[in-house]
Amino acid sequence: MTLNLRNISGMLRLLRVAGARLSQNTEKRGFGFQSSSSIIYPASNVPQTSLSRPPWPELPAFDPEEEERRHQAIVQKVNGLIEKGECGRLFAVVHFASRQWKVTDEDLILIENHIDAACGDSIRMEKVLLVGGNDFTLVGKPLLSRDLVQVHATVIEKTESWPMVHMRFWKRHRFQRKRIIIQPQTVLRINTIDVSPKLL
Amino acid sequence: MTRMWRHVAGVSALLCSKSGFTGSVIMVFLTLSRWIRNRGPDRYWKVQELLKSARHFRGRKNRCYSLAVRAVRRAFVYASKARKTKRHSMRQLWIQRIAAASREQHMKYPALIHNLLKCSVQLNRRALCDLCISEPRSFKALAALACARRTEGFRAALGDGSHPPGVFSRITQPITAQHG
Repeated sequence: MTLNLRNISGMLRLLRVAGARLSQNTEKRGFGFQSSSSIIYPASNVPQTSLSRPPWPELPAFDPEEEERRHQAIVQKVNGLIEKGECGRLFAVVHFASRQWKVTDEDLILIENHIDAACGDSIRMEKVLLVGGNDFTLVGKPLLSRDLVQVHATVIEKTESWPMVHMRFWKRHRFQRKRIIIQPQTVLRINTIDVSPKLL
Repeated sequence: MTRMWRHVAGVSALLCSKSGFTGSVIMVFLTLSRWIRNRGPDRYWKVQELLKSARHFRGRKNRCYSLAVRAVRRAFVYASKARKTKRHSMRQLWIQRIAAASREQHMKYPALIHNLLKCSVQLNRRALCDLCISEPRSFKALAALACARRTEGFRAALGDGSHPPGVFSRITQPITAQHG
């Protein structure tokens, strides 16, 4: 169910009524809208029902400055790793030829269509969704910046697929069609994945 | 039926002149030659081409043409249909694997996908499946991202607006590939 104010206040009203029915000694803090954390349940031996707690999980206490400090520390650490060049072998999720490929160095990719590049040409794949190493991951929302990541590949081979037979047949209707499909194919070799030291 | 014979005038004239016999007619039966059909010169090769696709079958359908025709037709039709259903079943498999991996990270599959979409992370199920198999740390990071976005959503819905909106639900500008 959607979590809007009306649904939540309805649920809380139900919980409040259930709590009041259980015992008359429940403490009530404040009137009107009540958050789930302020309802105190009595320590009686009542079995757990679907209404004894709200369907959303208990939210932890939240300190915005603490979160900010943690985020800053992580960004500094990752920046330091990239600047020193201690990334190790990087992998990337790249959007190419209407598919997403998880790719590393020295990988071979078979693409089931024709690319306007001659054999031996170098290609740069620009739509990078995610880059990661052993110690960190950079997730794009939805894409990472062109200056941040560079993925270079070479066209190795341009061939055709084996002849696939597409056949349709309806029994008792004398309907039969046969077609031979040959797809053009391209093989790419991923040469390098580079991350530039310029995160923030 | 077409004419079974033809009056061969030239022959009769010749015979007439030799034997002095005029006005006679000789009949040549043509139907027998018309009954012989030229069936096409390359039947052997057409049969072999079909049997080539049936050689790995079991029983007489790998040798006898009439049985092989039916078996090969079914095989081609099944292959064509399977190419379509392969895409469906691969997607099902990816979803199962992502669900299992997200449950290891104490999240459920619909929650993970919906919250990743809300963070505008457009990884598809194939990429997520590859990550959860070969890059468990990255998948853990994505699950943590989705969980953080989820708690931010709950906080925004349950709270009274006095708390700050949160980092992960901030809408960032999409990066477009710029040329030049």
